[in-house]
Amino acid sequence: MKPLLNVSSLKVNYGGVYAVKKISIKVYEGQIVSITGANGAGKSSTLNALTGIYAPSSGEIVFRGENIAGFHAHRIVKRRLVQVPEGRHLFPNLTVRENLFTGNHCLGRFFLGKFIPENILNIFPMLRDRLDTSASSLSGGQAQMLALARGLMAQPLLLLLDEPTLGLDPIMVKEVLNLLSILRKQGLTILVVEQNVRQTLEISDYAYVLESGRMVMEGRGTELLNDSMLVKSYIGFGKS
Amino acid sequence: MLNDYLLTVISNIGMISLLAISAYILLITGEISFGQQAYFGISAYSGAIATTLWGWPFWVSLLFGSLLAGIAAGLVSALTVRISGLYFSISTLAFSEMVRLFLLKFSYQKEIDGELLGPNGAEGFGGIRWIFDNNISVFQYTLLIYLILFLVIICLFFIERSGLGMIFRMIGQDPMLTRVHGINPVNYKVFAAVLAGFIAGLGGMLYAHSFTFIEPQIFNVMLGVHSLAYGLIGGLGTVFGPLIGVALDIGLLESIRVIHGYRMIVFGGLVAIMLILMPRGILDEKRVYRLRLALRNWLHV
Repeated sequence: MKPLLNVSSLKVNYGGVYAVKKISIKVYEGQIVSITGANGAGKSSTLNALTGIYAPSSGEIVFRGENIAGFHAHRIVKRRLVQVPEGRHLFPNLTVRENLFTGNHCLGRFFLGKFIPENILNIFPMLRDRLDTSASSLSGGQAQMLALARGLMAQPLLLLLDEPTLGLDPIMVKEVLNLLSILRKQGLTILVVEQNVRQTLEISDYAYVLESGRMVMEGRGTELLNDSMLVKSYIGFGKS
Repeated sequence: MLNDYLLTVISNIGMISLLAISAYILLITGEISFGQQAYFGISAYSGAIATTLWGWPFWVSLLFGSLLAGIAAGLVSALTVRISGLYFSISTLAFSEMVRLFLLKFSYQKEIDGELLGPNGAEGFGGIRWIFDNNISVFQYTLLIYLILFLVIICLFFIERSGLGMIFRMIGQDPMLTRVHGINPVNYKVFAAVLAGFIAGLGGMLYAHSFTFIEPQIFNVMLGVHSLAYGLIGGLGTVFGPLIGVALDIGLLESIRVIHGYRMIVFGGLVAIMLILMPRGILDEKRVYRLRLALRNWLHV
C-alpha cells in the first residue's frame, strides 16, 4: 500500500541554522500519525514545511503521488492537505460562522462559499449555538473546536494539527484527543504535532519522536509508550 | 433652500468620501496607503481632459478617468504587492509624489472657442466648464455626487457582506493564515487596489468638474493623509466608517468658521486621541457586530 504522504530527507533551515535535519515520515490513509518531542525539536517547522508556510531547503514531500515540496501554502491546501495552525489562530474580528466559511475556500472559488455542512455542526454541537458570536469571545477550548471545525470545512484528505491541546485544561485535552479518535474512525487521516506525549501516543497508530531537528525514535504509538527511554525523556518517571 | 456655501460643503463631503472609501478598502486588507490622492488626481485630470478638450460625454469621461485610475492602481499594486507594512506605505507615497511632480510638468493645451484650455503644469487646469455648458446647478451636481456615492456604498455594502469582503478582512487580519486557507492574498490585494483606485477616480473626476479648476498641488500628500485618517476615525468595521470621518472633518471642523483656522490642530489631535482610545475607529468591527445584532433583535421583536 502506498502512503498518502511520503516525506523523505526533509531539511528546513532558517538563515543557515537547520531546524529540521533530514527527516522522513510516512502517513497511510486512515491513520493518526503523531510527531512528538520537546520544545525546539523541529515539530512545527516540519509541519509548516509540509503545508508550504516555509519552503524546505531540500527533500521530497510526496502527497498522493505528487511532489509538493516548495509549493505555496495556498496551492497545497487546494490539494486538500489542510493545516490547523498552532495557537488556534482564528480571525478574531469575524464571527464563528464567518470563521467557518473561511474554511470553504479550498474548493477553488474566487468568493468564499457561505455554507456550513450539517455534519460539521453535528460533530461540534457547541458551535451551533455560537454561530453569530464573535470568535474573539470564545474560550480556549471553544476556539480550538472552531479551529478544528474550520479545518474540516476544507474537506481534508489529510488534516495536519499543530499542538491542538496547547494551553487547554485536562478535560478539554481529553475531549480534543477523543474527537481526533472519532474523526479517524470516520476515515479521516490525521498528522498531529504534540508535546502532550503520553495522551497523543495513546491515540496514534504510528509516531515519530524528534530531538533537535533529528528523528530519534519511531514506532507504533503503544510500542513507544512502553519504551523506557522515551518514558524517561519525555513523559517522566512512572505512569499515571 | 440651501445656500451655495452649504451645498459646496455637502458636495465636498460627498467627493472626499469617495477618496476616504478608497483608502478604507486598502486599510481593511491590512495596507496603509498614503497615495490614494494620486488616483484621485489622475482621474481628475484625465476626466477633465476628456470632457473639456475632447468633448466626450460626462458619463463616458467619468468612466474613462476612473478606469485609468483603477488601472494605474492595479499596476502599482502588482509591482508592490509582495512588500507590505511600512515599505508598502512608502512606495505609495513615492508614487503619489511622482504623479504630482509629473502633473507639475504636464502640459497639454488646445484652443477651444478661441481660448487655450487644458493642463499647463504648475498653472493648473482651468475652464472645466461642463456644469456651466450644460446648465447644471450646484444643487443638481450635488445630487449627482450623492447618487454616485450611494451606488458605491451599496456595491461595497454587498461586497462586504459577501465572501469577497470576508477574504479582504482575512488578508487584513492574518495574510499567512489566509494562505493556509487556500487563498492567495496577492490576487485579492491587486483586486482591492484596482477597486480602490477606481473609486478614488470617481471622486477625482467629480471634484474637477465641481471646482472647474484643478492644479497639481491639490493632490499633495496631505490629501492622502486625510483620506487615511477618515477611515481610522470613523471606523474600519463598515463602509460607513470613513463617511463619519469625512463628516467630522469637513462637515464640522472645516465648516465651523470659528475653529476654521485651527482645523488641522484639532484634526491632528482627534486622530491621535482616536488611535489611542479606539485604534480601529468609532465603528470598529466589534461595534458594528453589536449594532448588527441589536438591529436584528429589534427587527425580530
